[in-house]
Amino acid sequence: MSSRQPRILICGDLVWAHEEARQLFDGLADIVVMDSPNRADFLAGLKTRERYDGIVGIYRHNISADRIGVFDEEIIDALAETGTVKWIAHNGAGYDQIDVFRCAKKGISVSNTPGAVNDATATTALYLVISCLRNYAWGEQSLRQGTFKSVLNPGRAHDVTGRTLGILGLGGIGLRLAHLVHAFPMRVVYYSRNRSANAPEWCEYVDSVEGLCRESDVLSLHVPLRDETVHLVGEKEIRAMKKGSIIVNTARGKVVDEEAMIRALADGHLSSVGLDVYPNEPLVNPRLLEFPQNVLLPHMGTENQDSQRRMEVRALTNLRDFLRDGQGNDLVPELRSKL
Amino acid sequence: MLPRVLLCGEIEHVQDECKKMFHGIAEVIHLVSESRSHFLSSFGPGGPYEGTVALCRRNTSSEVIGKFDAPLIHALADTSMVRWIAQSSGGYDEIDVQACKERGILVSNTPRANEDATATATLYLMLSCLRHFSMAERSLRSGTWKTPFNAAQTHDVTGRTLGILGLGGIGLRFAHLAHAFPMRIIYFSRRKAESAPDWCEYVSSVEELCKQADILSLHVPLNPSTVGMIGEKEIRTLQRGSVLLNTSRGRIVDQEAMIRALEDGHLSSVGLDVYPDEPRVDPRLLTFPRCTLLPHIAGESAKAWRTIELQALGNLRAFVLGGVGEDIVPELRTVIGNSTTL
Repeated sequence: MSSRQPRILICGDLVWAHEEARQLFDGLADIVVMDSPNRADFLAGLKTRERYDGIVGIYRHNISADRIGVFDEEIIDALAETGTVKWIAHNGAGYDQIDVFRCAKKGISVSNTPGAVNDATATTALYLVISCLRNYAWGEQSLRQGTFKSVLNPGRAHDVTGRTLGILGLGGIGLRLAHLVHAFPMRVVYYSRNRSANAPEWCEYVDSVEGLCRESDVLSLHVPLRDETVHLVGEKEIRAMKKGSIIVNTARGKVVDEEAMIRALADGHLSSVGLDVYPNEPLVNPRLLEFPQNVLLPHMGTENQDSQRRMEVRALTNLRDFLRDGQGNDLVPELRSKL
Repeated sequence: MLPRVLLCGEIEHVQDECKKMFHGIAEVIHLVSESRSHFLSSFGPGGPYEGTVALCRRNTSSEVIGKFDAPLIHALADTSMVRWIAQSSGGYDEIDVQACKERGILVSNTPRANEDATATATLYLMLSCLRHFSMAERSLRSGTWKTPFNAAQTHDVTGRTLGILGLGGIGLRFAHLAHAFPMRIIYFSRRKAESAPDWCEYVSSVEELCKQADILSLHVPLNPSTVGMIGEKEIRTLQRGSVLLNTSRGRIVDQEAMIRALEDGHLSSVGLDVYPDEPRVDPRLLTFPRCTLLPHIAGESAKAWRTIELQALGNLRAFVLGGVGEDIVPELRTVIGNSTTL
C-alpha cells in the first residue's frame, strides 16, 4: 500500500510556470504530465491505474484537446471512475470545452481563470474597435500591396471619440474595455442578465440585447459560450443595429450567427467586423476574407507572455488551494450553488 | 472686383461651407496648372490666378507643382499679391517658412485639428507592435492561422514605460490614452510642459528618454533642427527589444539606422504612419513581419478632414477680411505687427 503524496496531472503543457508549479506543490503533491498521444491512450491510462494513478486534481489547458479531445461526458465519467479526481483547474476564462454539468453530477469541481485574461483580452478588443472604425487593417493591406492609401476613402474612417460602444456582458473583460474606451471618451452602454453592481455611473444600462444593438455604433461581445448564448446575436439583433455599424467579437465565435453577420457585411448593413474568434477554429469562413475592411485575428486574445504566465499561475493556485484548503477560489459560477 | 483665393489641392469635405464662407468676400479659384512653370507664370495680368491674395495648400499639390521651397516662395513674392498661405494640415514642413519670413508672406497651419485622430493611430500602432496583431492578421489572411506568431515574444501594454518625444497636443493626447492602462509615461520636450499632468515625468534629454523607454513615440514637427534627430546613437541607447513609433514625419528618423536595428533585432519592431519619401515605402520595411505600417492615414477620418479644411479656410477668410488669420505657425509669430493688409 503506497503512502506517497497525492498526484496532480498537467493536462496541456505549462509554458512559463514550471518553477512556480514546483513551489506551489512542494510537500503537497507530485506532478505528473499527461503524455497520451490520443484519447484512447488517455482513457486506458486512467482505467489501468498505472501512469495516472492517484490523481486528485488536474490542471487543464485547451491545447490538450488537440490530443485527447474536449472534456466531454466520456472523459468526465472516466475521471470520476478513478474515485480520486475531485478538481479540474482550467486555464482560461472560457471553459466551454468542459462539460461542467457532468462534473457536478459526478462530484468533480471545476475552476477557471477569470480576471487573469481581462487586460489582455480587453486590449485585443480595443485594437479591433480602433482598427474597424479607422479602417487600419485595410490601410495596411493597401500599403503592403503597393497602393499606399489610394484605395481608401477617408469618409469611411470614423473617430473613436464620441461614438457609442455597446458591451454585451459587463463582466471583468467588458468592464476593462469600458474603462479603456472611456479615456477617449466613447459613450458606453451595456446589457447584462443583471444590472452590474460594479458598473461606473458612465456605463449606461440597456434592458435588452435588441435595445443594446439599436444604441451601438460598435457592439462588442463579452459573454461566455453556453447553450443560451449560442447565436445570441442573430439576424434580428444585427438588423436592429444602425446601418454602418460594427461588431467586435473576442468572446466565442458561436455567440454570433455567422451567416447573418456575413449577409449584413455583403449588403453593407455592417460596415465591418473585428473578430478574434470563429465558430470552428482554426477554420475561418473564407467569405470573411472577401471584405478588406474586416479585422481578423487568429484567437490570440489573451496571448502574450505576461498574461500567459499569470494565467498558468492562477490555475495552478486554484489547484493548490483545493489540495491544501479543500477549495479553490475560482469555482465556476454553475457549480457555486452546489456548495 | 473681389480678391481671389486659390485652392492648391482640392477642398473635398466642406465644399458647401466653402462657398458660404467666401460669398461676397472673395472669389475661390482652383489650381489648373499641370506643372510648376505654368503655376509660377500664372499670377500676372491676364493669367488664371491674377488677383490672388491668398492660397490654401494641401501637400497633394506637390505632385504637380512641387513643394513650396525657397525658389517658389520668391517667385510668388515677385509675381503675385499672395501674402498668406493657409496650409491644410498640422505639418507644414513642405513650406520654406524662412523664405516666407524674408519675403513678408505669412503661413498658417491647422494645429489641433487631428490631434485626437493622430493620437488614436499612435495607440493603435503601439498595441499592434507590442502584441504582434498586424502580423497575426496577415498570417490569418494568408491561410496559416497563427503561424508564425509566437506569444512568447509579445507583451502586455500595462505597466510598460512609454517615452514621448515632444509633449505637444498630439503627444499629450496619446499620453492620456496610454495612461488609462496605465503605462508609465516619460517625456522630453525643448521646454518642460507647464500643463503636463503629474503622471507625465519629464526627463532632461533625448538620451535619457531613450535609456528608460520600452516604447519611444515621436511627436515633434519636422524642421531643420529635428531632421534625423533619432539616429544611430539614439536608437542604440534604447534597450534591446524596444519599439519605435512614428506618426510625425519620416525624416525625423535616420531610416538606415532604424533598418539596421530591425535587422539585428535591437528594435523588436516599429509602428509607422510616415516615411521619408511618401508615397514610396522602402521595401526592406516590408520584410520585418512584426512591424505595423500605415500609409499616412493617422490623422484621416471624415471628421478630422472636415475640421482641417474648415480651419484652413477660416484662416484664409480672416486674412482676407481683416489682414490676419489665426494659427500663424510658430516661426512666424514674431512677424505679426508688420503690415500685411491688402
